[in-house]
Amino acid sequence: MIVPIGHVLACSAALFAIGLTCAVIRRQIIMILIGVEIMLNAAALAFVGGSAFWQQVDGQVFVVFLMAITAAEVAVALAMVVYLHQRKRTMIADEFNRMSG
Amino acid sequence: MNWLDLLALGPHVFLVFGATSLLLLGAWCSKTRVILLSGIFVSLLSALLSGIAPPVDGDIAGLFSAGGYARFFTIFWFLTAAITLMISVRFSIELNLNAGEYVALVLFAALGMALLSSAIHLLGLFLGLEALTLAFYVLIASNRRSELSAEAGLKYLLLGAVATGFLAFGIGLVYTASGSLHLPEAFQGLQAEDGHLRAWGLLGWGLLLTAVGFKISLVPFHLWTADVYQGTPSPVAAFLSTGAKGAVVAGFIGLVISSGSAWKDLSDLLWVVAALTMIFGALGGLPQNNLKRLLAYSSIAHMGTVLVGILCQTPTGFSATIFYIVVYVIANLGTFGVIASFSRAGEEPEDLDQWRGLGYRNPLRCTVLTLLLLSLAGLPATAGFIGKFAIFHAAIQSGLVSLAIIGIISSLIAFAYYLKVVIVMFSPESQADRPSPGEPLEFGVLAACTTAVILLGLFPGPLFDLISKILP
Repeated sequence: MIVPIGHVLACSAALFAIGLTCAVIRRQIIMILIGVEIMLNAAALAFVGGSAFWQQVDGQVFVVFLMAITAAEVAVALAMVVYLHQRKRTMIADEFNRMSG
Repeated sequence: MNWLDLLALGPHVFLVFGATSLLLLGAWCSKTRVILLSGIFVSLLSALLSGIAPPVDGDIAGLFSAGGYARFFTIFWFLTAAITLMISVRFSIELNLNAGEYVALVLFAALGMALLSSAIHLLGLFLGLEALTLAFYVLIASNRRSELSAEAGLKYLLLGAVATGFLAFGIGLVYTASGSLHLPEAFQGLQAEDGHLRAWGLLGWGLLLTAVGFKISLVPFHLWTADVYQGTPSPVAAFLSTGAKGAVVAGFIGLVISSGSAWKDLSDLLWVVAALTMIFGALGGLPQNNLKRLLAYSSIAHMGTVLVGILCQTPTGFSATIFYIVVYVIANLGTFGVIASFSRAGEEPEDLDQWRGLGYRNPLRCTVLTLLLLSLAGLPATAGFIGKFAIFHAAIQSGLVSLAIIGIISSLIAFAYYLKVVIVMFSPESQADRPSPGEPLEFGVLAACTTAVILLGLFPGPLFDLISKILP
């Protein structure tokens, strides 16, 4: 490997942290979902890096499955977003606060 | 993948074909009851198929085990799905749900649970967990007349999505550090002394545990539980609190058994998590006046106890945990079954005030609920007591004495809120609104759950023998 594995992992960890921060800080539902996508892409980067480091194909196969799962998750999540928007006419997560305690 | 693998996967394939055909059937046939009954038939038949299928050596495509442990949980989750469908019949007719979609989603979730429980490869674990989570995102929001159901769906979606991110990145780091996704090797790779990637691997293990913590609502990742349970329609809540959590625990036991010393580095942390979860589950339920929120805290407390059983790291501990899960699933299905049987057009008696005096007007169902709640609380002579006793006994044997004491004290505290429900049900003031009279299918489920709880309380031996045989 030309790029040391430590650098790949550091990069993916940074990406993961950015995605998590986005998911935690932003209140717009779409932005939270984008944050999650960044977290999943960080995972994919770690897999590809590990796959190259160990000279195996397992990690890359996992990434293909991860993409499929992500696509399914986005499909369900966006359907939910449309449904929630129809109900409440808002996309701000904090507005959905009927239950607490 | 060869013919033997396909044979071992037969029941799962049958379930998927059944679910897909019912999804299609739903487009033409508008008879909700027919579709739900065929869904029950499909899941019962799949359970039967996986019970009578000839034993297969080895594993399925290196992803899933085909051993006794996997088969036990496959049958168990398929039966749980059947029971969930039985208590959803009236719910989906009254709300005029698209029955094909509802049944298909429940069956897909059951498939995810079965795969998750039998995973011996981190990819299998990930796929199983996602299959069940994706189905639940939709199921939770399925009550379209209720704003709370939509809100619960949103909360579960956002937290579930973040947990997926943690799980994927955790598995990614474990893989990078160890070079394998297959379960024993994935963790053995972490133990290499010279491995400079060991720290990354442990971080991955930690993230993986965080994702598991989200799914089975361990403190500090438990905040979604009460809200989601409150908003979720009871039949779905029954499935969510039993199958979704139980399957994660079953998969987690498989992880822990294969993890070796990577686990020991984190067991102190998990000791604290288990203690906090039991205490929060017991204390958080005390001020609740909503039965479903109360059951949410009860499930948090139960998951804390389950973690004690897993922390034992002995075969006795693991078999006690599996017994506990089985009993918890049966009692919780029955409890939510009683709530569902009282519901009318998606309106459920949730507030404890609505339960006041119900015990005099519907003595039979309220007695059943009392019995199941006492089993959840762990009153002696019920199955719940045997489960708690087995776990705390195993904990004391393996030196976790203080954890066992915390567990026993918090079980005693939790008694207070279970008894509160019972007292309210049998207190004299009577309210005007009449809950639903229920229907035979629901009574059948309640009778089965009650019988199982009593029988397992009196004769726990056979189940313990079975569990000790299947333990991997």
